[in-house]
Amino acid sequence: MKNAAANPDLSKFLVIGALLFIIGVAGVLTRRNIIVIFMSIELILNAANLNFIAFSRYLSTTGSANALAGQIFTVFVIVVAAAEAAIGLGIVIALYRNKETIWVDEIDLLKW
Amino acid sequence: MTLSGYEALFFWIFGLAAIFAGLLTVMARNAVHSALFLISSLVSVAALFILSRAEFIAGVQILVYVGGVMVLFLFVIMLVNVGAEERGSEEIFNNQRQVAASLIFCLLLVGGMLYAINTGFNGMKARNSTPPAVVEAQEASRDQAHGASATGSSRITKDTESVGGSLYRYASLPFEIASVLLLVAIIGSVMLARTLKQEASVDDVDPGIAD
Repeated sequence: MKNAAANPDLSKFLVIGALLFIIGVAGVLTRRNIIVIFMSIELILNAANLNFIAFSRYLSTTGSANALAGQIFTVFVIVVAAAEAAIGLGIVIALYRNKETIWVDEIDLLKW
Repeated sequence: MTLSGYEALFFWIFGLAAIFAGLLTVMARNAVHSALFLISSLVSVAALFILSRAEFIAGVQILVYVGGVMVLFLFVIMLVNVGAEERGSEEIFNNQRQVAASLIFCLLLVGGMLYAINTGFNGMKARNSTPPAVVEAQEASRDQAHGASATGSSRITKDTESVGGSLYRYASLPFEIASVLLLVAIIGSVMLARTLKQEASVDDVDPGIAD
């Protein structure tokens, strides 16, 4: 039996992806600065990409024909992340022009 | 898929670097520091992509994600955030009960995900059991079949060729939809970031042109 630490397998990739995802979720839930919240969302998307690529590699070694689908999907996830970052930061700029603040708990006009 | 030798060493280095940089992204006080830590995390994940033989995706990640999206983040931080650092006394986390609740939720999520990954992975290993020696032999024969690089010390893989072929043959419709999505994002972000003066002057036409 090979040593699990000296020969990392698919499960180690998935664990790193899961930890990055959870760090991103913690960032979205706890930070007050809206731009840091956006950066935590990028961490979440990156963790998903890592999962896709790890599975693509695993499937290519076990000989499945769908092995490239992971990498194709990653390209589209990067495209969507870029579009979402552009629109989100445009919204942040428009918000800053109107309210002069970047702290999310000060943006409470619609609260009861 | 087990990595070994130098690949395993670099896997641990870049994996731990990605997690550490992600943690510092969330915990840094200065937004520019957060952006730079996120750039380190993205580059470490690109290195993990190279270890998984996805070199094209690693290049795309560095060019598009780090070189485009993170530069956009830094521009917006400079436009929007500069006053906050000079004060330096603002609270960066939400209030204590919210932080405690989200940390408890994240700990539960960690436990659940690790359990799910272990159970699922053991079940999957029990099902596809090709002996590791066969897999390594297949890998080695596939690696030797690639052409040698210019310096002769490594092989040129066919990852970019395969991804390009798949994108243009099987995923051509999603590819075109992605380009329409990017067009809509460009138009939307230009519209969102206009000043009031620009919006008011949208109907102004030079008197010599119209009528």
